[in-house]
Amino acid sequence: MNRRLFLGQSAALMGASTVGVPKLAFASTASKAKIVVVGAGYGGGTAAKYIRMLSNNSIDVTLIEPNSEFISCPLSNLVVGGVEPISALTSSYDGLVKKHGVNMIQDRVTKIDTQKKHVKLASGKDVPYDKLILSPGIGMNMDSVEGLREANAAGVTLQAWTAGKETVALHKQLAEMPDGGVFALAIPLAPYRCPPGPYERTCQVANYMKNNKPKSKIIVLDANPSIASKGGLFSKAWADMYDGLIDYRPSHNLVAVDAKTKTLKFELADDVKADVLNVLPSMSAASLVVDSDLATVNNRWAEVKFLNFESVVAKDVHIIGDSIQVAPGMPKSGHMANAQAKVTAAAIVAELNDFPINPNPVVTNTCYSFVNGREVVHVASVHQYVAAEQTFRTVEGSGGLSPAPSRLEGVYAWGWARNIWSDTVG
Amino acid sequence: MKTKLTRSRQLVMACTLGLASIGLAHAEKLDAQRINNLSLAATCAACHGTNGINVAGDMMHPINHYSANQLQELLMAYKSDQRQATIMHQLAKGYSDEQIAIIAEVLGKKD
Repeated sequence: MNRRLFLGQSAALMGASTVGVPKLAFASTASKAKIVVVGAGYGGGTAAKYIRMLSNNSIDVTLIEPNSEFISCPLSNLVVGGVEPISALTSSYDGLVKKHGVNMIQDRVTKIDTQKKHVKLASGKDVPYDKLILSPGIGMNMDSVEGLREANAAGVTLQAWTAGKETVALHKQLAEMPDGGVFALAIPLAPYRCPPGPYERTCQVANYMKNNKPKSKIIVLDANPSIASKGGLFSKAWADMYDGLIDYRPSHNLVAVDAKTKTLKFELADDVKADVLNVLPSMSAASLVVDSDLATVNNRWAEVKFLNFESVVAKDVHIIGDSIQVAPGMPKSGHMANAQAKVTAAAIVAELNDFPINPNPVVTNTCYSFVNGREVVHVASVHQYVAAEQTFRTVEGSGGLSPAPSRLEGVYAWGWARNIWSDTVG
Repeated sequence: MKTKLTRSRQLVMACTLGLASIGLAHAEKLDAQRINNLSLAATCAACHGTNGINVAGDMMHPINHYSANQLQELLMAYKSDQRQATIMHQLAKGYSDEQIAIIAEVLGKKD
């Protein structure tokens, strides 16, 4: 098979030279290198596209993703709150394949062999790589809360923290809840995917209740001692817009779920019984990363070298997105995964061409949160690589928060979404 | 101020031209500096579209009609708080003047 591939490529190169296409500018190692990207979310889609773009389409990229379409987690709280259908957050992978020539395989990676350098697919196929980029998202520690795995499998609790079926199901449960019902949202200790996400969800659930079921309430059971992101802005929005609808309880560490009685049990606080149970357990790197012994921090997060996001323990394995041990002040967000992907793509294209890797990479983050159907607040940051510390640092004086919710930022949030979706998979 | 800006951008252009003169005449050819410059400018793409081409229409401030000079002046004005925005004045402060010059050169409208 290798031989056939090699012959195929030689023929293509010969064909190219006979029709007078200018000689390729890359070392032959670059054009023959096999890049495999696992996961076509904000990180993986962007990495695949930018390796193609930055190499003038000279490097082959194979992208492996179990889902047939891209569904955005950012903005998916609007689906929970009934403001938008899930179709509004769904994009096709056609752009990656047709416009950028990425080879897409719809399958799931079950195992990585970092010695022999190939990944195994659920279908049984082996895919060899020279460079592997892992962007498999987040792992949910369903066993960290007693009874949660069974309760979630039965649909008694939902997490809806990876956008898709559960997002739609959670809205359905909210819509079917009687007026006067209770929606419980359990939040794990940070770090978890999308720091402001649970508090935006609180706004969206309360917004739905305010418009449809005003006798209901949402009880927010937060393992953290206070709101973990945009605290002042969310507190004010809750007081100004949703008085009496939101019962926020900090330092509530969930230990068990009783599916039969729909009750949440806590370490040091009273039980909470609710009609809808939205339980977010503690999170870690995706199981593929943990099972491949790449989660070097407490078996939970994957350490990487921040110049090229290469694993500290596996050569030629690069890890981006929610699975990594972040640099100081770096959130686990879709925007950040998109930014990390570009740094990684540039480093890999440079390395395969025997160029030095960019010594000064930059990543940015922008997170928009909808406090109702139209008004939005943001948090933004810029992170520059600091060579002396071999990590990214947020630039002093840069970034910041919105002064208050606004409709203008609601418009920009949708603009951001359209552009980043296109930048990622278009 | 304006002279200084222009000079810093000329430096970037000189670097690019310098590389061209040592044998990478084709604009699309790869070199280390080009990869670095493109990936730096790509930090703008998440909000403003790949290569600064805005697919979101009026929902996001379009930037692809500005010349390199105009883009550099705008970004420097955001950085120094001479211009206010919802977010751009916060992000511009995260980039060095040299990085802003490179971004403007990469994303500025080509004649």
